Amino acid sequence: MGNITRRIVLGLAGIAGVGALAFGGSLAACRLVPRNSPGFFAYLSEIARDQAARRIGRAMVGSGHVSGDLEAIAARITQRPLIREAFATGCPRTRRRLVQDQCAADFRDGRMVSVEGWVLSETEAELCAAAWIADGRTA
Amino acid sequence: MIVDLREYESEEPVSGAVCVVGTGPAGITLALELARQGVDVVLMESGGRTYEAETQALYDGEVVGDPNTDVSSSRLRQFGGTSGHWTGLCAPLDPIDFEKRPGVPDSGWPITRADLDPYYARAQPYLQLGPFDYDFTAWQAKLDRAPLPLDPAMVRDAVYQQSPPTRFEETYWETIEATDRIACFLHANLVDIELADDAVAHFEFSTLDGRRIRVSATHYVLACGGIENARILLNCNRQRVAGIGNEHDLVGRYYMDHLNCETSTILFAEDDIDLGLYDQVIETGVASLSVGLKLPAEVMREEGLLNNTAFLVPEYDDATFNDDFRDRGWVSFSTMVKSFSRGRVPDRFAENYCNAVEDIDVIGVGVYRHVMRHFVPAGRTVAARLRQDAEPSPRADSRVYLTDDTDPLGWRRIALDWQIAPSDLDSLRRTHEHIGAAVGAAGLGRLKLGIPDPPDLDVVFTGYHHIGTTRMHDSPRSGVVDANCKVHSVKNLYMAGSSVFTTAGTANPTLTIVALAARLADHLGSSGASQTKS
Repeated sequence: MGNITRRIVLGLAGIAGVGALAFGGSLAACRLVPRNSPGFFAYLSEIARDQAARRIGRAMVGSGHVSGDLEAIAARITQRPLIREAFATGCPRTRRRLVQDQCAADFRDGRMVSVEGWVLSETEAELCAAAWIADGRTA
Repeated sequence: MIVDLREYESEEPVSGAVCVVGTGPAGITLALELARQGVDVVLMESGGRTYEAETQALYDGEVVGDPNTDVSSSRLRQFGGTSGHWTGLCAPLDPIDFEKRPGVPDSGWPITRADLDPYYARAQPYLQLGPFDYDFTAWQAKLDRAPLPLDPAMVRDAVYQQSPPTRFEETYWETIEATDRIACFLHANLVDIELADDAVAHFEFSTLDGRRIRVSATHYVLACGGIENARILLNCNRQRVAGIGNEHDLVGRYYMDHLNCETSTILFAEDDIDLGLYDQVIETGVASLSVGLKLPAEVMREEGLLNNTAFLVPEYDDATFNDDFRDRGWVSFSTMVKSFSRGRVPDRFAENYCNAVEDIDVIGVGVYRHVMRHFVPAGRTVAARLRQDAEPSPRADSRVYLTDDTDPLGWRRIALDWQIAPSDLDSLRRTHEHIGAAVGAAGLGRLKLGIPDPPDLDVVFTGYHHIGTTRMHDSPRSGVVDANCKVHSVKNLYMAGSSVFTTAGTANPTLTIVALAARLADHLGSSGASQTKS
C-alpha cells in the first residue's frame, strides 16, 4: 500500500467539499423549484413511513374511513386549526409539535378512529392514509 | 364455642336468636357483629377447620354456559370459606353501581352507596384494611410516585386497598371460639328448611355420616356464597315446589361474574414513562394501595357504559421484569411456598404439586427472573396491558339451576349456565377507547384494542366472583330479597353475601359482602333478634 501523499488528501478533501456543496446547493435550489403537489404533503414527513403506518393508511382507505382521493384528504386535514398553523411554519420542530398538538386535541374532542385495533386521532390516521396514497399505495 | 357435630353428644335441638349458615366473610362478620350486640348466634359450617376433599366435593357441579369458569374449586367449603384463597383486592362499589342506569337493563339497587357507607367503614377492619377512604386525591400526598398526566375529565385514578389477604380461619377462629354468644358447629350440612306460616320454623343439619341436629331461631341467614345460596333455596322444595323464595322464577337467575381479562395495550411514546404508581402495591403506612384507571361516572352515564377499573401491567424491553410466567403452575408453586413458609401443608397439596410439576419450565423462568431482578436494573417500560374485572350486565338467562345428579346428602347438584352478553365486551372496548383517547391527548402514546369487533368471548375468564342469584329488589317480581336482604316471601329468612347484589359493579365483592353483613347485623339486632328463641 502506497503512502498517503498530500496530493491524495487534498484530492479527497476537494471531492468531499464539492459533494457537500453540490448537496447543499441542491437543497437550497430545490426550495425554489415549483412542485406538482400541494404544500400539504410537507406534513407527510411527520408520519413515519414504516410498515405500521402504511398498514394504517391502507386500512383507513380500505375500510372507507377516508376516500382514496388525496386532494379530498388534504382539504379535510387542513381545516384543522393547528394543522393550518403548522402549514404556515417552516420550522420542522414547531411543525411536528403542532401536528402532535392537533392529534392531542382530536383525542380530547373525541375525534378518534379505530384502525386495526389502534385508537388513533383522525388527523394522524388521515395523514397515514395520505402518505400511503402518496407513496403509490405500496404495501 | 366451636363444636364438631360429628362428636357432639346431645341430640336435643339447638336454639339461638339467629342461625347463620356459612362461615365465610359474610357469615363470620355477621356472627361477630350480632354477638357484639348481645345476640346469641348459632353458626353452622359444612366443612372442618381446613380443607377436606369429601366435603369440598359437595360443591361439584356442571359448567354448561361459558366454559371459562369453574364451580368446584373456585370456592372453599370449610371454616373461613373462600377467604382461604382470595387475593385480597378491595374497593367499595361506586355510587353509579347502585343507580338505575338506562343503558343497563335490570340495574338499580333499592339502596344507595350512602346507605352502605357507614358499613363499609365498619367492614374495613374485618379485612385488615386501612381507613375507609378510596378517593385518590386524598391519598395523593402520601404517595411518592406521580400519576400519569391524564385529563381527569377523561380518565381518573381509582384507588383499591389490598388486604393481607385476611384468611378468616386464621384471623377469627380463636375469636369465634372465645365468644360465648356464638355456638359454631363444624361438619354441619344444611339438609332441610321447615316452613310454617310463611316463616322458617327450623333448619335441619346433618354430617356426612348421618348425625343430625335441628336448629331453631328467631331469624335465619344463609351465607353460603353466590352459587350455594341459590342451590339451597332451590333444593328446599318440599313445601314450596319451585323452591323457597322462587315464586317468580328468580332464584339462581341473574348470575354474574366479573369479566376477567388482560387485553388492550398502551404503547408508550417515551422511554422514561414512570408506571411506579400503577404496577405495584404501594405501602403508605396506613394502607396498601393499588391504583388503576377508570372513566368518570358522567362518561359512563352519558354513553351507557358498564363500570370498569383497568390496572396497568407493564411490559419491559428486558424480559427479566415481565410477569408472563404467572400461570396456573406458578400460582400453585407460590401457594405452596407461602404455606410451607408458614409451617403449614398447603390445601390441595397434590393438586398444587402436580400443577407445579407440569409447569416446571415456567416456574424455572419465574424463579430465575425473581432472582435476577435483584441484580439487573429495571429495563425500559415499553407498554402496559390493561387487566380488569369488568362489570357484566345482569341477565335473567345467566343462571344457576339444579341438575338430576345428587350429592351424598341427596341434594341435587347445580349446573352453572354463565352467559356473557357480547354487548358487555362492546362496552369494555368503548371504555378502552376512552382510555386510549386520554393517553393520546396527554401525548403519552397510543392504545391498541384487544377486543375485536364483533367481540370474542374467549378473552374473558371468571373473576371467581359469584354474584346475583338471589338479587335485591323492592319488588318480589324483580328480586328474591328486599332492601334488608330478607327473602320476600319468608318472614324470617335472610340472605348474606354476593348473591344479593343487584348488579356486580367492577369492584372485587368481598368488601361489599362484609359491609352488607354488618348492615344485616344492625337490622337483625334492631328487629328483636336479641331475644333468644326459647
